[in-house]
Amino acid sequence: MSDYIVLVKQVPDITQIMDNAFNLETGTLIRARLASVINELDTQALAVANRMNQLSGGAGRVIALSMGPPMAEEVLRYSLARCADSAVLLTDKSLGGADTCATANPLASAIRKITKELLGGSTELTTGGSKDFYIISGMQSVDGDTAQVPAQIAEELKIPCVAYVTDVEYNQGRFEFTKIISGGNQIVAARSTPAVITVAKYEYSMFATFAGTRKANNFKLIQWGEKDINATHIGINGSRTRVISVFPPGKTTRKCQHIIGTDELAKEIVENYDKSQQRDEKETGNGYILPSKRTNFFDRHFEGTKKESEDYKILADTLEKLGIKKLSDITEETKEKILSLAGQHFHKNALDDMLEGLKAAEPTYQGQVWVVAENDEEKIHPATFELVGKARSLADSLETKVGVAIAGKNIQSLCKSLIAAGADDIYVIENPLLENFDPVVHKKVLADVIAKYWPQIVLYAATPQGRVLAPMIAYRLGCGLTADCTGLEIKDSSRKQQIAVLMQTRPALGGNVMATISTKDSHCQMATARPGVMKRLEPDSSRKGRIIREPANINETDLSLDIIRTEKAAGKVHLDAEIVVSGGKGMQSRDNYESLVSQLAEALSKKFNTFVEKGASRAAVEQGFAERIHQVGQTGTSIGPKLYIALGISGAIQHMIGVANSDIIVAINSDSNAPIFKHCDYYMIGTAEEIVPRLAKNMKENHAAIIDSRPPITVEAKLTNNI
Amino acid sequence: MNKTSVLIVGAGPGGLSAAITLKHQQPQAEICVIDKAAEPGNHNMSGATLEADALATLLEQADRNWRQSEQAKEILGYKVEKDNVMFFAGKNFAFNLAFSLKPAKALGIGFGQMSHQGNHIVSVSKLTKWLCKIAKDMGVEVLHGFSAEDIIYDEKKSIATGIKLVDQGLDKQGEKQPNYVAGEIINADVIILAEGCDGLVTGKFIEKAGLARRSKQLYSVGVKELVKVSDEQFKKFTTARVVHAMGWPLWTPVLGPAMFGGGTMHPVSENHIAVGMIVGLDWKYCDFSPQDALTNFKNHGFVKKFIEGGTIVEAGAKMIPESGFFSLPRNPQTSAIGKSNVIIIGDAAGLVNMLKIKGLHNAIKSGIAAGQAVSHCTNNLTAIASKYTELLNMSGVMEELRDAAKFRQTVAKLGPLFGFPLSVFGRKVPLFKVEEDYKVMSGRKYKYKPAKEYDKATFASLAGTQHREEQPSHLTIVNRNICDQKCIPKFYSPCITFCPAGVYETVGQQVKPANPSNCLHCKTCQRKCPFDNIRWTAPEGGGGPRYKNM
Repeated sequence: MSDYIVLVKQVPDITQIMDNAFNLETGTLIRARLASVINELDTQALAVANRMNQLSGGAGRVIALSMGPPMAEEVLRYSLARCADSAVLLTDKSLGGADTCATANPLASAIRKITKELLGGSTELTTGGSKDFYIISGMQSVDGDTAQVPAQIAEELKIPCVAYVTDVEYNQGRFEFTKIISGGNQIVAARSTPAVITVAKYEYSMFATFAGTRKANNFKLIQWGEKDINATHIGINGSRTRVISVFPPGKTTRKCQHIIGTDELAKEIVENYDKSQQRDEKETGNGYILPSKRTNFFDRHFEGTKKESEDYKILADTLEKLGIKKLSDITEETKEKILSLAGQHFHKNALDDMLEGLKAAEPTYQGQVWVVAENDEEKIHPATFELVGKARSLADSLETKVGVAIAGKNIQSLCKSLIAAGADDIYVIENPLLENFDPVVHKKVLADVIAKYWPQIVLYAATPQGRVLAPMIAYRLGCGLTADCTGLEIKDSSRKQQIAVLMQTRPALGGNVMATISTKDSHCQMATARPGVMKRLEPDSSRKGRIIREPANINETDLSLDIIRTEKAAGKVHLDAEIVVSGGKGMQSRDNYESLVSQLAEALSKKFNTFVEKGASRAAVEQGFAERIHQVGQTGTSIGPKLYIALGISGAIQHMIGVANSDIIVAINSDSNAPIFKHCDYYMIGTAEEIVPRLAKNMKENHAAIIDSRPPITVEAKLTNNI
Repeated sequence: MNKTSVLIVGAGPGGLSAAITLKHQQPQAEICVIDKAAEPGNHNMSGATLEADALATLLEQADRNWRQSEQAKEILGYKVEKDNVMFFAGKNFAFNLAFSLKPAKALGIGFGQMSHQGNHIVSVSKLTKWLCKIAKDMGVEVLHGFSAEDIIYDEKKSIATGIKLVDQGLDKQGEKQPNYVAGEIINADVIILAEGCDGLVTGKFIEKAGLARRSKQLYSVGVKELVKVSDEQFKKFTTARVVHAMGWPLWTPVLGPAMFGGGTMHPVSENHIAVGMIVGLDWKYCDFSPQDALTNFKNHGFVKKFIEGGTIVEAGAKMIPESGFFSLPRNPQTSAIGKSNVIIIGDAAGLVNMLKIKGLHNAIKSGIAAGQAVSHCTNNLTAIASKYTELLNMSGVMEELRDAAKFRQTVAKLGPLFGFPLSVFGRKVPLFKVEEDYKVMSGRKYKYKPAKEYDKATFASLAGTQHREEQPSHLTIVNRNICDQKCIPKFYSPCITFCPAGVYETVGQQVKPANPSNCLHCKTCQRKCPFDNIRWTAPEGGGGPRYKNM
């Protein structure tokens, strides 16, 4: 019999953003104006805990745990109304403002206390004597969207972590979990308990009962503060990342171009396909120059925020006016002069800070720029090549080398392609135990090699694998980590004496705001980056590089998972494909839907040498034209392909929100008033039956314009964004 | 845990007033209020101007200093100082009739009741949310997300023993999913039905307990948009103005359409103006949609200047029970509005005064009466219905409803042109026999159909409506052949046109509730299908609109 600790989080309800929730001046979302709800994936975690308990006899206890402000008790009552037997709220002012590390640490401490006080076990979870239990949580929260906390809790408690779980079975006395891996599923069991389970999708969230809700409302919650737990990383001071700025995401304005002929439409699609990448990647190589290489010693225009760049520019201009060349020439008297000239821009304290900052001219971090490769025995994940491309430009401006750490059973042959992609040094760790991805052993060998060389930056792909591995390594090495970055730049933060640091930009609150984050109090700056955002370089097989073999200090007993079987995707739906063709109610019948969508999908797939998935509007699913798993939109899957083609879809706002991240949207509809025409790039008025066959034919004819000869991008590239 | 002494179905202003009153009188009373909305106030929408007295009486019970509370300042911040009672004669012409309100009121003419001077302008969603908090703070158990489906009624003993909730976790075909939870039965000693207009359980109770209405219940539907306007427009409109407009586009003399209803405007919060259109369901035009009338209203010169260029930030639709006094469901023997240990309050009973176009104050007063009745009859639960009705008679609600008693029937029978003037004679008019709204449909077309089709998908989205998609449709067509053989040839399936959320569509030549998850729970379809061929049942709890400021 197992017990279950379910981690639940209160998050802002980003599905219901009121019009007054945006700060009109800054364009950012005011979090306090959003309603609070339980994180959706945590409701699924509760359902999985309940399911596991039912499968194994139903005698276990379910304890809900949340860290947050006092109002977070609502999510605990939500849990109690469904399946929790008890609930613990970890709340304290000092715990606020925490990053993932300073969240995972107190939660892990609370879990130790729960084990001892509520489950009758010992606080030493790994050394026997502890109870058999599972820590279950949603894979990520909608506000932070990092997926780091559960993995870091596992790391803190030194227990296995089974991430991205979608189902669970109970076989011969043990639980077998279905988890998502790049390109398919894997069935695994934890080799020991306790273990952390993170849920990526479980369809059957529980319903509250009337009786359960009354019980929950009258339940006396257990409330703990900082003093009740022995946490080592608390609040802002315990955090290893710092938010530099928050700003609104760039608005993409659609072209809404009315197209008459299918040949013209085919031409537009071919010409614009993949160019659109520029839309997400605004931050391509910013040409950062180290302070020591700048012509003007006082030049600090690479600051992390616009305001600081401007202030330093004014300072530099003022110093020039005053004829000052050296820092040592600045006396109290010159400061007065500076303030009299530029005092409207900054005050005395700020000036002192800025001058102090000028003293810092050496980079804060030293070492190479690394990428942790994701690979199986045969190939490197495409996202790794993208990261190597990014690492190349970062390393060039830092005047250092690009390193790649790669672990596996027999992977020597993969190293060449990494060098061709832009790497200088490849750190290779080979061991038979590394054949399959096991977070615990992979984390161990990779952390060892990172700690041996201490690169200044380590990048990981934000894939199901990278999003488990990165937080564990970062936590183990005491480094800050920013998840799911869409922009990475080298900048200064002179006033904080930080020179040539990595500015990590990522979307938050479901893409409603962007945040730029930097690392603090760490040996090394770590980030995961979204696949498909960074650009890979053209492979150059003439490039030279070193291959450095590294030992793997692991043995059989280190393995944390039993891999029962691996199922590569077949017949699965990959709405994360680069191209999605959707049909709506305008398709009239299932036959029409299937023939027309397939026809166009096939033509596009051949044309662009990529996988094309079929989507459907909610109405089309309701009519039975397609299975629900194909449903695209707010209530189905939210997608962001390079090309989205909507056939016979009117464009209800719920649908359009779900496809808003698409690079190009093409709409074909017979209703000239269809709302979708206001939210797309190109549209044609007419029925799909008329247009699709001609368009498919045009796509085939248009051979001359093939713009992409790369190998096909595998379908899992964007998987993590879209779960 | 599945037993309570008092169960109130519906956490709107009426139900919560009952709970607050009873809790005030009997702090030990065990009171549960259930509501199908996900959050307090989510299913509450109204005009709304509120007569201050009823609310004051209610809140005095909870807290003598309620006027000083933050919520009172926020929610009751706007008061009517300027009544614009308008007559629109065509697209651009408007006459203000407000000058005649005072003399009419002085003479006791029905029309005078349209004066709203001194009333609060409120958002009922916000008011409900506040009342919910007050009730909870007093110790009332208010549970959201639970849909009631039926009442357990013992016909032999003539008492009700409980309420059955909707099953949760069925799939589209009605099969049980792994997370299936059978609808619980909540046992209760006393049941107060406060479901609002055309309540599902109320309907079943009326049938089971043999209650009867003297005159058929007529309904209207209101559609409303909340528009964010410029500083200038808002300043011009002021925070103290309420507009009620009759005439165009619902009624124009001689050859024009003849419908009961009108447009309204009122301020909601800083820079937000609500525009609404209320239309009696006894319209005859098979291609008419209340949103068409709303579009026309918004394009009228008088309205347009206040909202042009604005952004619609919220929207919603709701029915109003209009017939008033003679349509209250009563026990034929005792005249009680309810029976034995079950009572019906607020809109569920139909306590709306159509001369005032207001029912909120009566919902609150009936809630107070209900709370008092239960408190009074603790030892004789079967006397509650009679006691409630007695208290309601004394509360002024009945007096007021009697004044307006024949108004709606008169207009329904004679049409606006003759009905309005005749209704001036108030109680002296005979009670005309009227037919249900659905029976009056004709093949005629609405004359002022706007050129552009109304964007219902956006409307539903702005209402924030959501349902779990994978559940059985809560809307059913009783007999499909009627649609195909009778309705489509004659009326071209008006449900497609009039449903404000676009739930009904023709798919593969069949009319069906294709988008039940867009439903706003207004139930217009159930009352306006020309062949009475649609049934609305309650979906899983937590579904439906999410009104915040309506």
